[in-house]
Amino acid sequence: MLNRRRCDGISRRNALELGLGGFLGTSFVGGLKARAESQHGGSVPAGKAKSCILIWMDGGPTHFETFDPKPDAPMEYRGEFSSIETTVPGVGYSEHMVKLAASLNDYAMIRSIRHDQGNHGAGNHYMMTGSPPRIPVGCGAFVSFHPSMGSVVAKELGRDNGLPSYFSMPQMSRSGGPNFLGARYAPFVVGDDPNAANFKVRDVALPRDLTDMRFGSRTDLRAKVDRMVRLNDEAAGDPVLAFDEYFQQGHSLVTSPEAQKAFDISQESPETRDRYGRDGFGQRCLLARRLVDAGVPFITVYDGGWDHHSDIFGALRKRLPAWDNSVATLIQDLKERGMLDSTLVIALGEFGRTPKLSTLAGSTTAGRDHWANAMSVLMAGGGTPGGTVIGATDRKGFSAVDRVLSPENFVSTVYHKLGIDPNKILFSPQGRPAHLVSDPTPIAELV
Amino acid sequence: MPRLPSFPSIAAVLCLCSFLQGTSLLADEPPIVDFENDLQPILTRFGCNSGPCHGKARGQGGFQLSLLGFDAQQDFDAIAKEGRGRRVFPGAPENSLMLAKPAGTIPHGGGRRLDVAGPEFQTMLTWIRQGMPRKAPNAPVLKSITVNPASAVLAPKQTQAIVVTAKYSDGTERDVTRLTAFQSNEAPIAAVDEKGVVTAGEITGDAAIMARFMGQIAVCDVMIPRIETIPADDYAALPRNNFIDELVWQKLQRLNITPSGICDDHTFLRRVTTDIGGRIATQDEVNAFLADTAPDKRAKVVDRLLQEPEFADHWANKWADLLRPNPYHVGIKATFNYDHWIRQSFHERKPWDQFVKELLTARGGTFRDGSVVMFRDRRQPEELTTLVSQLFVGVRLECAKCHHHPFEVWGQDDFYSFAAYFSKVGRKGTGISAPISGSEEFVFTGTGGAVTHPVTGATMEPRPLFGEAPPIVEGQDQRESLAAWITSPNNHLFAQTMANRVWSDLMARGLVEPVDDLRATNPPTNGPLLKALGEHFRDSGFSLTDLVRVIANSHVYQLSSLPNDTNVSDTRNHSRHYRHRLRAEVLLDAVTVVTGVPSEFDAMPPDSSARQLWTHRSDSLFLDTFGRPDPNQDPPCERMSDSTVVQSLHLMNSEKLFRDIGSDSGSAKSLADSSKTGEEISVELYTRVFGRKPTPDETKLVVDLLAAEGAVRRQVIEDLMWAMVNSAEFVFQD
Repeated sequence: MLNRRRCDGISRRNALELGLGGFLGTSFVGGLKARAESQHGGSVPAGKAKSCILIWMDGGPTHFETFDPKPDAPMEYRGEFSSIETTVPGVGYSEHMVKLAASLNDYAMIRSIRHDQGNHGAGNHYMMTGSPPRIPVGCGAFVSFHPSMGSVVAKELGRDNGLPSYFSMPQMSRSGGPNFLGARYAPFVVGDDPNAANFKVRDVALPRDLTDMRFGSRTDLRAKVDRMVRLNDEAAGDPVLAFDEYFQQGHSLVTSPEAQKAFDISQESPETRDRYGRDGFGQRCLLARRLVDAGVPFITVYDGGWDHHSDIFGALRKRLPAWDNSVATLIQDLKERGMLDSTLVIALGEFGRTPKLSTLAGSTTAGRDHWANAMSVLMAGGGTPGGTVIGATDRKGFSAVDRVLSPENFVSTVYHKLGIDPNKILFSPQGRPAHLVSDPTPIAELV
Repeated sequence: MPRLPSFPSIAAVLCLCSFLQGTSLLADEPPIVDFENDLQPILTRFGCNSGPCHGKARGQGGFQLSLLGFDAQQDFDAIAKEGRGRRVFPGAPENSLMLAKPAGTIPHGGGRRLDVAGPEFQTMLTWIRQGMPRKAPNAPVLKSITVNPASAVLAPKQTQAIVVTAKYSDGTERDVTRLTAFQSNEAPIAAVDEKGVVTAGEITGDAAIMARFMGQIAVCDVMIPRIETIPADDYAALPRNNFIDELVWQKLQRLNITPSGICDDHTFLRRVTTDIGGRIATQDEVNAFLADTAPDKRAKVVDRLLQEPEFADHWANKWADLLRPNPYHVGIKATFNYDHWIRQSFHERKPWDQFVKELLTARGGTFRDGSVVMFRDRRQPEELTTLVSQLFVGVRLECAKCHHHPFEVWGQDDFYSFAAYFSKVGRKGTGISAPISGSEEFVFTGTGGAVTHPVTGATMEPRPLFGEAPPIVEGQDQRESLAAWITSPNNHLFAQTMANRVWSDLMARGLVEPVDDLRATNPPTNGPLLKALGEHFRDSGFSLTDLVRVIANSHVYQLSSLPNDTNVSDTRNHSRHYRHRLRAEVLLDAVTVVTGVPSEFDAMPPDSSARQLWTHRSDSLFLDTFGRPDPNQDPPCERMSDSTVVQSLHLMNSEKLFRDIGSDSGSAKSLADSSKTGEEISVELYTRVFGRKPTPDETKLVVDLLAAEGAVRRQVIEDLMWAMVNSAEFVFQD
């Protein structure tokens, strides 16, 4: 989004960044240049993706019952679901992943990411930012030590078109915030359910009972009552000029039929809406695709409730068919519309789940607990080679053993695909340089 | 990569590396190159050891140097010994990686850095030829650097070269301009290039040019006054309500700019009420103030506002921003108690030194004594060090934790000696068990515990950053000595840091920015004023009330925001008032007053205002949209004060605001139901929302709208109210 400059054309924060570039780098000019380029003097990776849809499976989805079944393991490990074939010979999925198994040629599956953060708060932070939490973080904690992928992408790829650059639906994920990038890059949360009949995106649509005509007369009226003198000389640094610009942008967003179209999910045919699935998650996937169409660079579809400590099979029997359908449909729909090359789709949670089934005290049904030694991550689009399956866990699914990858590798891959250098240096408002990702090595097979 | 000037003669090259010995030299036998004095500056100057390159903690390409060359031994080993000696190749010095890489003759991730024909390349070559000596015989130690000139007054576009001289322990001096890094703190006013040439811009103002050579820093002050002079009598005739005015006028006189006129009464009332009380003035207050003819009515308003509880809540809210812990970390009850202690301190008008002393030496349980919660939240001496030094001394030590601060004098010794004050803080009870952290913890004066230096492993003795702290008596809490040192009347930084913050709160810009970063290399825009404000604050017994009063009573505070012919580009010297968007809580409370529909917050009694919220876990889309800091963030205190399109959209379309304006229990409805005439309605609306009377044009607008054919009275009032809330006059303080 547009940053209103002060009279000198450089905001204080920018000035500080530039100054530090000068001090820590070679000189003022050298510093400027260093900031504009990758630090290795190379160019920014030529990412194909313009947007990213992150499907966040909050709670830590099981890898066994989704993309990494262990049919040959003993019962107490393999669980109740059987394995089905995918389009890639030798690669099996759990039985409810029917559509995703049939369309694996359209996307890649990583089965060997592991890390060391077994709590929700910490695992979320690690996967959402690519940076491990600095201090031990408990399960319920919401922490932010580093900007999230969504905030970074909003900053790097956001456009001055009045549209928020980072959406999160229906809520923000714990560590999905901007940290030191500032609230400008916080996600725009759309809490309402797009599956509801009267769905509207908050603040971007007119209040329910306000007619277009009355809104028009209100804005005319505003022009008449807002008589504060504007200091039009740029040198005066009047913050009111930025305010006017944002009002104008917001106004065009609300009144522009094209922009409103993006949010109006009812414009989709009933067939399309059915195809995505008539539930909150399915319709959010569809809305995410519409937002991508409108040029929004990052959309998080938050999907809660994957923390299956108990009743894992009962819960997943109900949930997985619809989930499988919605995600497979999203990828398929993007492909049919020729948008898959420019749209990255990723689905993951904070970690995988324990190999051995357990029954918690007080519970009568089996579940799996937190397990960060292995997890499966889906990645589609943005030039991701379809049908690629990377890495493997051991026979019982305890640990990633082949092609072991880190959250840093994963997040670097996402940035790389979006044309953002993961080795880029960010400056905190205090002027402290921080690498975007500490180990900026993307997953070679996927780029 | 900036192009380097190439020195034509070999004599110049010899000059550069031969000054140290002072002995007679043969032209074909260059003097011994000293690693620290001759070679390291080159590594720094060309960015080799900078944070993004080999200076970062994991090095680059396996080659790691100390950040900005603070550790000569490490750097020497890295170059001359590590990597199996592959970086230097005495057999064929030109082929050393150390030269071939930066010269670009073999691929280098950092690009081409050195000119083969330049003197630096020759110095490095000579050093390798000489067998990489660690030290030259009798090499002196760098003592200081000076810049010449130390200050300059320039005309727009004029240039001025700065010469940097290094002074060594043996009394020798050396021109190190070529190897010095330069930086301007206000580049648009005066820019500086890598050769040390300052170029004045076309904006009136002043800038500090920093020169940095091997950890030594010197500053050149540059001023660019307006060309047209102003008669001295004009300044003599300006009002002087107190010392602030005199010091601001002095600065303006040197810049040849004159202050704007004094602001209108209604502008003053809205300004002072939002600043001091964090609220907008009521209709009664507006009416009474505008009708008052007493010459001292502005000062009386200031006094009245300072008596109100809103003053305490508003300023406590600001400090809660800085101190407020993450409730998921410390637990909700501890968060509540901490907020209560902070808030209560402001309600009591507790002297600032006492507040800080109580906070730093707090003992007790988190369920009873809110003041101890900082020690529950920040558990490591290191965490406490960065927080306490930044908030109360205006010194940012964050960098010094790991490496010498690039802009300042602080190193790891300073950091860990300061941290040692917190080494014996005792804790018992239940520690952090996030996310609930529901139990009580006690903080007491412990006996064990030590802070060790991460590099040397030495146990650190508590030592203040500068000056003397009271000795620590056996059995006494070490923190008491620290608190006494921080809050001492002799610690000018303690008073100035707070004075600068409060100045910034009232004047929309600190004398030093960022407000908590006071150092020689970040000079204030008005040094004498910062000094005087600090002394005033100290002499008043560290009274916040008194500090706010003296600023608000100054003529400078009461200037209009509208520029005159001389000061439109002044955004730093307070020759006019600087506008700012109202803070999230102030704006929300103002909206509540306008609509007449109270806010509802979780965990708060009915009719609470936003400024009274004790935790950000009380959800508010409005507050989040307008930049309330995220309490889950570490550190949590970043607050956004600029505008965004999301804010505009929220004011424009928020369902809640729409409902409140149209509420059956709201002020629009009761105004519509009243028997007031169109003129009376216009007065009521303008007074309520903008805090002023409407102009005749504005009254006519309202009257005409109400009288228009088909106009629905209530609807017209609601639309007007919406339009006014979405106006700059409402959202901004003028």
